[in-house]
Amino acid sequence: MSTTSNRTATGLTTRGRYVLASRPLARWRTIDLVVTAFLGVAFGLAYWAWGIAYAAPSTALSTIFPPLAGITGAPWLMAGVVGGLVVRRPGAALFAETLAAVVSMIPGTKWGVEVLISGLLQGIGAEIGFAILGYAAFGLGAALLAGALSAPLEAVYEWFVYWTDWDLGYKVAYLAILTAAGAVIAGGLGYLLTRGVARTGALDMLPPGQELREHALGA
Amino acid sequence: MPDQRPVPDPLPDPLSDHGAAGAVVVDGLTWRPYGRAAVVLDGVSFALPPGRRVLLAGASGSGKSTLLRALAGVLESAGAGEASGSVRVDGADPAAAPGSVGLVLQEPGSAVVASSLERDTAFGLENLQTPPEVMRPAVRAALEAVGLTMPTDSSTLALSGGEQQRLALAGALVMHPDVLLLDEPTAMLDDETAQVVRSVVDAVVRERGLTLVVAEHRLGPWVDLVDDLLVLGAGGAVLAFGPVQEVLASHGPSLLAEGVWVPGAPDPVPAHLDVVAGIPAVGMPPAGAATMTAEQVTVVHRTRTLHGTPRTTTAVDAASLEVRAGRTTALVGPSGSGKSSLLGVLAGLVRPTAGTVTAHRDLAPEPTRTDPANWSSAELAAAVAWVPQNATRSFVADTARGELLATSAALGRDIEPLRARADSVLEILGLAGAADTDPRRLSSGEQRRLAVAAALFHAPALVLADEPTVGQDRQTWSVVMGLVDGARRRGAAVAMSTHDPVVIGSADAILALTAAPRGGPQPQAARTLVERVGPLASLAAVLLLLPLPALVHSVRQALAALAVETLWAVVALAAPGPGLRPTGRVRRLVARLAAPALGAVFVGWSSWLLGGHDLTIALVAALRVLALVAPGAIVLPYVDPDALGDQLCRWLRLPARPVVAAGAVLSRFQALTVLWAEISAIRRVRGVADGRGSVARFRQLAATTVALLTGALASATTLAVAMDARGFASVRRRTWLHPAVWRPGDLVALLAGLSVVLTAAAF
Repeated sequence: MSTTSNRTATGLTTRGRYVLASRPLARWRTIDLVVTAFLGVAFGLAYWAWGIAYAAPSTALSTIFPPLAGITGAPWLMAGVVGGLVVRRPGAALFAETLAAVVSMIPGTKWGVEVLISGLLQGIGAEIGFAILGYAAFGLGAALLAGALSAPLEAVYEWFVYWTDWDLGYKVAYLAILTAAGAVIAGGLGYLLTRGVARTGALDMLPPGQELREHALGA
Repeated sequence: MPDQRPVPDPLPDPLSDHGAAGAVVVDGLTWRPYGRAAVVLDGVSFALPPGRRVLLAGASGSGKSTLLRALAGVLESAGAGEASGSVRVDGADPAAAPGSVGLVLQEPGSAVVASSLERDTAFGLENLQTPPEVMRPAVRAALEAVGLTMPTDSSTLALSGGEQQRLALAGALVMHPDVLLLDEPTAMLDDETAQVVRSVVDAVVRERGLTLVVAEHRLGPWVDLVDDLLVLGAGGAVLAFGPVQEVLASHGPSLLAEGVWVPGAPDPVPAHLDVVAGIPAVGMPPAGAATMTAEQVTVVHRTRTLHGTPRTTTAVDAASLEVRAGRTTALVGPSGSGKSSLLGVLAGLVRPTAGTVTAHRDLAPEPTRTDPANWSSAELAAAVAWVPQNATRSFVADTARGELLATSAALGRDIEPLRARADSVLEILGLAGAADTDPRRLSSGEQRRLAVAAALFHAPALVLADEPTVGQDRQTWSVVMGLVDGARRRGAAVAMSTHDPVVIGSADAILALTAAPRGGPQPQAARTLVERVGPLASLAAVLLLLPLPALVHSVRQALAALAVETLWAVVALAAPGPGLRPTGRVRRLVARLAAPALGAVFVGWSSWLLGGHDLTIALVAALRVLALVAPGAIVLPYVDPDALGDQLCRWLRLPARPVVAAGAVLSRFQALTVLWAEISAIRRVRGVADGRGSVARFRQLAATTVALLTGALASATTLAVAMDARGFASVRRRTWLHPAVWRPGDLVALLAGLSVVLTAAAF
């Protein structure tokens, strides 16, 4: 695979097999902002729905081994991963995840304003994942990494806010489980979700949509 | 006069430059979007002197919208591509002079960027850094010019479609454009509403001497309001440009052949189509029998606004209707008269607040179960075809062929023999090459045809369609009505909501609904104290509680903290001063506390398991969480997101563009909850929503989330275009209509937060 930058038929640069956002990266187009905001709000709504649906599976898992609750916590990490995969600019993951957290509070949640802090921490985590790769890789690997890194800051925050009575073993186990589940559920499913949405044409204005067309042209 | 200072006025007087500005010169404009082989605009050249009014006509997909975006300087906002040629407005690039060209889009509400009329109207001026004291009178004048006379702080959510289009017009006019561009502004409106919008346009365009370009495919109503007609051909080239009657005479027949609604042409006739042939119908009642009967049906909608204030509206008021087999019933009435809601009731998708709905026993899964609202997804799908107004949202499969087969597959029919039939139906619809294309990638007319055919393919006995012909060209009209009529001829009962005179004229029965009287201006209720606190201070007060988990180690401490919080809650929800007592405060509080209480129980229970079944440990853990999260539940419903955005930008110096974009999207929060409900309803009536157990439920949630994302993102491009047309693309700094002020209540709120933490620490 070539790692040199090429101009593509879409006028954007690619590195390897990824279509990147237009340069400079920090210069967001209106469509980038609006799409990230829509992702945040839509995920916020889904987060809120999950906040109602998750209770039963979470309780079941906690009965087996309390830190397993990390598995049912992982879907809440998805907006950051998807925001980063779709918009491919610094800050997209943080913006999407934070907004999703804010929106999920609006209809009322179990966690109140603390969700805002969670959103920020999860978003920063996902952002670190994309930054490590220089905002130049957006495949399954990048998604798994961003999903995994969404978890640690959040897990530590939860130690102090929700799981104050747990001993260190449980806390570490929770961190590990949330990280693994973040990679698989937020990262893996987020990656599939992005591809699925791109196929509908809804992302034609953004790198994943253009990537799809590039590959269609190349095939 | 509240303000005696002379007002600086950098805006040109709209009348002083009458006829002087607004010259449009387009020279050799060619545009090819990346990823498309063919150009959308092909060497388009024309020139308009200031004040010229032009009607832009052409077949669907001839590039009318693209040309308007190019004239507005926002071509790149909607898609990357290759452009050549030039667009000049008074000699300059329109993108370099935001506001000089105003653009109003087709879909009502698609350009709304804020949650109140004044904020929305002021958006463009804010982007141009207009001082607030100049903005306020300009906003009032613009709203007055388009006839929106309600209080300027009214919610944009409460507007009808016609009012939304007039608001979009106000948002363009407030920037004092020289050129006004309208992209099918009345296509989605009923005749009366459309007439109001047209006369408002006519009045402001004449008064201000604006250059006007209107894209439309129903030419008739505009012909008398314009000077010239510009015709785009299917390849995106100018076919004709000249005085409207001359061009109509020379190019009318070819426009008609392209599907354009040319004035004076005979009404189109439904094509003779039958897409369900070969598939046995199930449960078809005998001709003339009442397939579905609604008696004294009332529907009351409760909508939750962003602020949590519930609003109730009576959508349907004691309506009765029999939909008979082999007959067509037209539901008519002005926007807001409950046509869609009544169709939803007949479809078993909306449970009426009062009254009964009874299906013919041939349709019912069991003789006693005749209320469709109680049927399973598959039972409902077997009997009912439902075509929503927005075809894009009706799709449940990822190929056009799959879309046709989806319900049959969900009903457990053998799909293999149906594939060939599906392909021949696609050919009938003009979609022969698109069998494996994602339906959401089709053009709007193609989507409409596919949506109707997909609803009918499995031969249901009841066909319900919401405005099936609105906004379509003559060809699609003919196919859509042909499909519906084909189903009727096979014995299906058909009910359609419609404003279309031709559809109404051909119906066997007509039910006229009247709009429920719109509640007058709500009496002003006194505001609670928490509403008088700034949003940032409210949030900061709640976040001050974050040390609580580290501080609280005993039941005594937790109870003390909760006691102080309760005290503050009583203060916060008090509403002293004149005005009506706000209602429902306690009920809403209890409802919102349910979730935190549940969360506290969960944490307590988890601690009980861990802490060696020690009740005290569990109680401390539960109360600690409750003390932390309950205040948020009290404060959050009263946070005004627009005001929060203002304060985040100005006090915390967050970058303006992301915050404003988030605010614009947040103002559609309610639209997204409606979309969610709509997607769930569609999946139910198409038969794909059944299944119990965690896996099925998770799959449901995932499918609905993908559909929600797709639907939301589909409106992103339109919103970006609308925002850029009002100068958002080039914003570095902006001004705000409303001041961000520090109020005494803000300090009280912070002290309240602090007092809780100190109490917990002291005990």
